[in-house]
Amino acid sequence: MELEVVRHLARSALRNLEAHRRRIDDLNVYPVPDGDTGTNLTLTLRSIVEALDASTAVDSEAVAKDVTRAALMGARGNSGVIFSQIVRGFVEVLGRHEGVSGALLSRAFRGASDTAYRAVKRPVEGTMLTVIREMAEESERKEHRRLRPNELLQAVLARGEDAVARTPELLDVLRNAGVVDAGGAGLVEIARGMVYGATGEEIPEAPVETESLGLDAIHLELSEFRYCTVFLVDGEDLDKDALEAQLEEIGDSLLVVGDSSALKVHVHTDDPGRALMLGTAVGVVEGVEIANMHHQTAQREERLLEGSPSALQTLETGLVAVCPGRGNRRLFESLGATRVIEGGQTMNPSAKDILDAIEAVPTDDVIVLPNNSNVVLTTEQAASMSEKRVRVVPSRSVQAGLAAMTGFMSANSIDENERTMLGELESAATGEITVASRTASLDGIEIREGEYLGLVDDTAVVSDPDLDVVVHAVVDRVLERGHTFLTILTGDDAPAVDGFVAAFEARHPGLEVEIHDGGQPHYPLLVVAQ
Amino acid sequence: MDREPFVIATTDRGSIAVSADAVAQIVGSAAAESYGVVALAGRGRLSRLVPWGIKKGVDVELRPDGLVIQLRVVVEHGLKLAEVAEAVRSRIHYELERMVGLPIASVEVHIDGVRH
Repeated sequence: MELEVVRHLARSALRNLEAHRRRIDDLNVYPVPDGDTGTNLTLTLRSIVEALDASTAVDSEAVAKDVTRAALMGARGNSGVIFSQIVRGFVEVLGRHEGVSGALLSRAFRGASDTAYRAVKRPVEGTMLTVIREMAEESERKEHRRLRPNELLQAVLARGEDAVARTPELLDVLRNAGVVDAGGAGLVEIARGMVYGATGEEIPEAPVETESLGLDAIHLELSEFRYCTVFLVDGEDLDKDALEAQLEEIGDSLLVVGDSSALKVHVHTDDPGRALMLGTAVGVVEGVEIANMHHQTAQREERLLEGSPSALQTLETGLVAVCPGRGNRRLFESLGATRVIEGGQTMNPSAKDILDAIEAVPTDDVIVLPNNSNVVLTTEQAASMSEKRVRVVPSRSVQAGLAAMTGFMSANSIDENERTMLGELESAATGEITVASRTASLDGIEIREGEYLGLVDDTAVVSDPDLDVVVHAVVDRVLERGHTFLTILTGDDAPAVDGFVAAFEARHPGLEVEIHDGGQPHYPLLVVAQ
Repeated sequence: MDREPFVIATTDRGSIAVSADAVAQIVGSAAAESYGVVALAGRGRLSRLVPWGIKKGVDVELRPDGLVIQLRVVVEHGLKLAEVAEAVRSRIHYELERMVGLPIASVEVHIDGVRH
């Protein structure tokens, strides 16, 4: 294994996986339908690519060591953990030799499969495990014995695709939801990216997925680069792919959209000048925006710490909240959150991100709101790692966190705040309105793809093509316990909601309604009743 | 700990209850299928003498605010423990909500050991 070759293959794998990330997120129904498999695999693979970029390994064994370590450290989510184990078994075999033959590659797939299976008491078939096992079996077939590594990789990929297609036959929950296994699909896209890298084939576009990945989502990701650079290129016969490939070399979080006459470029890089030169080489550059992201973060910190020193001294309790969307961030800040970390359904912050925020708050007592059921445990971990007195108020959604926030006063003691916030959390009723990404049956509700889906306290209660029906059903349910105050957070793709207010007030006399632009992805409307 | 089965539904013709044992079985089964978990941990001698509500490595309790689940597991060496524990926790939570329908106050996952 040569460092350069592994680097190239890993980058190619990452690029292909990223192109399919949204599709894979949407497939995710097992073991828990939280829609983050594509994102978790992407983040895990990205940490491997980054480690390879930084690696100075000179021999095969050292490359294997760097890759294994990066996979372990960077593993995110369930699929990321399984993938880290697959990677470990794979490179452990390759690391023992300098060159790569078909026979060695076959042993590496066997190692990957065996290592993956070893780490679970009762393996479930119809998952990533099945897919890697079948890939290993394919690589061991007699008729493949004389294949070169590239050819073997292609045969293994074809079998992997076939195995993914058969996952619903093995796992009922997939069949019922009408999907294939998300982790398995991700593994195949990684293998496919490696094949593209090995054969020098172009990675085809995945048009539907890349379009829905907006700038906001990209900004949620961590970037090691300093400058967020955006510009337009006007010209003739612009080659989007070529420009993308050149920019890929100098940065990340890359997005190039447009057609042959105009392209919009977004890239995080340490060398914005070079990015602009790549643009001017093919056309006229305009609308240049360069932001120093490190500076942006620093400015934010300054803004937070700015207040007069005397004002700071009256701070008894600080508050850290995790939440998605710019509007929600502002809302939490306006209610007194000392620090807000971006994060949510598909982008869980690490314990270290949360710990850093806790440490940065200028008080010894800190309350943390995880605002997502997937973030609660990480938050508790971060809390236990801090020297400060930290309490976690376990809010399972943004809107639940908002309800808890109404009980927060920075001038009060941490005990008092914890008590009132838990009280608010307890009594609040939360609801969510989203668009069903597939046809399925959930909590006894028949859901059709593209319909609006309403959930109350994490349980599906209604699905209907008519938004009015869903909104009213959800609001009726959250108001069942006699709450009189309703807050609505509108998301990225929110419908017009002004008309609803009058309707709510007519249906529920005495109700007060407040609407805020939350800006969260995936959920057009979030509601909480207090 | 509550020896009575947990009532999950009441109708005019009677009620439906689920035993702590059944809940513990669901938890144990979900844990065993969770990636990274190579064994459920054994418990202290005293707890083994208590006949109800305990499966190997699983504690189930019903409090006024819902089910309280405690689970002790052994995880494969070399995996990121926080990610494994979170995956186990969220899966148990999900399975219990789906199958039992009682409110869940907390699910705690303790990593008792790491297997080399």
